[in-house]
Amino acid sequence: GGGGRPPRAAGMAEAEAAGDAGLGPAAAQEGAQLAELAAVIGATVPTGFEHTAAEEVREKLGSASRISKDRGKIYFEVPARSLPQVHRLRSVDNLFVVVQEFKDYQFKENKEDALKDLEDLVKKLPWTDPLKVWELNNSLKKKKTKRKKYNLQSPASRGKLSDGGGEGEADQNNTNEQEDCAQNPVAVEAAGGRDTENPQGVASRNGVEEEEDNEQSDVKAEVQASSESGSKAGEGQTGEEGEAKVLRFRVTCNRAGDKHSFTSNEAARDFGGAVQEHFQWKADMTNFDVEVLLNIHNNEMVVGIALTEESLHRRNITHFGPTTLRSTLAYGMLRLCDPQPTDIIVDPMCGTGAIPIEGAAEWPCCYHIAGDNNPQAVKRAANNISSLLRKNESKDSSAALGVPLDVIQWDICRLPLRTGSVDIVVTDMPFGKRIGSKKKNWDLYPACLMEIGRICTPGTGRAVLLTQDKKCFAKALSRVGHIWRRAQTVWVNVGGLHAAVYLLRRTSEPAQDTRPFW
Amino acid sequence: KLGRPSELPPEPTPGYEADEEFLRRLHHVLLEVEVLEGSLQCPDSGRRFPISRGVPNLLLSEDEA
Repeated sequence: GGGGRPPRAAGMAEAEAAGDAGLGPAAAQEGAQLAELAAVIGATVPTGFEHTAAEEVREKLGSASRISKDRGKIYFEVPARSLPQVHRLRSVDNLFVVVQEFKDYQFKENKEDALKDLEDLVKKLPWTDPLKVWELNNSLKKKKTKRKKYNLQSPASRGKLSDGGGEGEADQNNTNEQEDCAQNPVAVEAAGGRDTENPQGVASRNGVEEEEDNEQSDVKAEVQASSESGSKAGEGQTGEEGEAKVLRFRVTCNRAGDKHSFTSNEAARDFGGAVQEHFQWKADMTNFDVEVLLNIHNNEMVVGIALTEESLHRRNITHFGPTTLRSTLAYGMLRLCDPQPTDIIVDPMCGTGAIPIEGAAEWPCCYHIAGDNNPQAVKRAANNISSLLRKNESKDSSAALGVPLDVIQWDICRLPLRTGSVDIVVTDMPFGKRIGSKKKNWDLYPACLMEIGRICTPGTGRAVLLTQDKKCFAKALSRVGHIWRRAQTVWVNVGGLHAAVYLLRRTSEPAQDTRPFW
Repeated sequence: KLGRPSELPPEPTPGYEADEEFLRRLHHVLLEVEVLEGSLQCPDSGRRFPISRGVPNLLLSEDEA
């Protein structure tokens, strides 16, 4: 696409480019058809929040989702031109385009036979359309890397900024944030910070121990690849199998189930071999253009092509702490409490501020307050907010658009907030593993719940609390039954630990105001 | 106290919800002004809590708690 062209739906731009390049009406029409191509997209989401993600998809893309039995994945269908919006979903970690799904694939008991079946499968799969989607996605990514900074519109309006690789589509939203707020996100460009603390990891199951491995193809590349990595997608050309465009690829296989006769490594290797044979692509583990995904969960199998490289889950954070929560999980937790415009949302143990920052970005009609007793945490949170503000700076005016978010250093047991003045409390409670200790939790958790109960508005207030120390939490909750009622529990996986997110509703009982010092 | 001539009355006057001018000033002070260095003073005890780099420190000392 052209640099000086005003941003448009991908299909239109391609059609136009094709037309301008004098390729004639056929190519232009192909571009427009590409835009309307139905793409089946698979998305990985934090386990436990599949329904939340499905809601977001319904809300923002108008599509219904299927939730896979393979936890942490949802599937939905959108026209290819919606790819930029798909990348802006905030509950999604990774995206891929589905080549084919098998609901009940019969793997042969004999290893050689099972693997042979997989090899034979390659040439039968409907690669054409998914590869077109992959190419289109690539052209979106290229536009993103060209533009490091996005312009905000004039301070009077909010532009929708592209998150993981879309075009900077300007959406003129209502300027008066106080009233008619459409709750559109001020999306933040991916921070690019690598996840060094919590491995993204495989979605581990609660309870059942199933054999699970996640390894990649070890097919090695020998010949130099001349990569034409789909940058010509804009002209409506497609990577047809057999065309002389040599792409580099790798196969990633995730396999879960205790009845398979092969390992994921073997499957990736043999499947990869057949892919290489079929497309004449070059295998390359690190420098690949196409990442083919082979996801096997018992008798369910999905073949897909990756659309994201870095996981989107650390998008807002530039300054990590030892236990920084991924943004997709923060988003899921916030959605659970159904924030309404003008709600006051507090995270009293904010750490690096992952939750309030996500909150302020996605629910700008609410006021977010982040607090922590630890000076390091407060500093990091403040720095993360500054990074956010810097990204939002308009090139034209020197004033940065503010963000409805404040940081305070405070003690969770003595919050400087008035009784009943807060609508929502969302927080990631210390697990007692990396921060604090299990013993401290016995005292902390009840005190916490009491104080949170005090500041929340009776009747309408709610709290969403993430913790791994479920036993301690249950005990603490039983002591505050007069002010908190458990409404919902979501079982999640945080950095390999089995944790729980509790949605609590504040009862109508007013809190006792025994505060001599505030 | 921001060290400016007071634009706001010391207490909200009745019917303030409808007073657009007042609401604008209130909005400005609450959401558009950020104190980077300074302090917050407790109206009851007079105790000052410092604000440093935009972040207030509202921790109480051992003997105050």
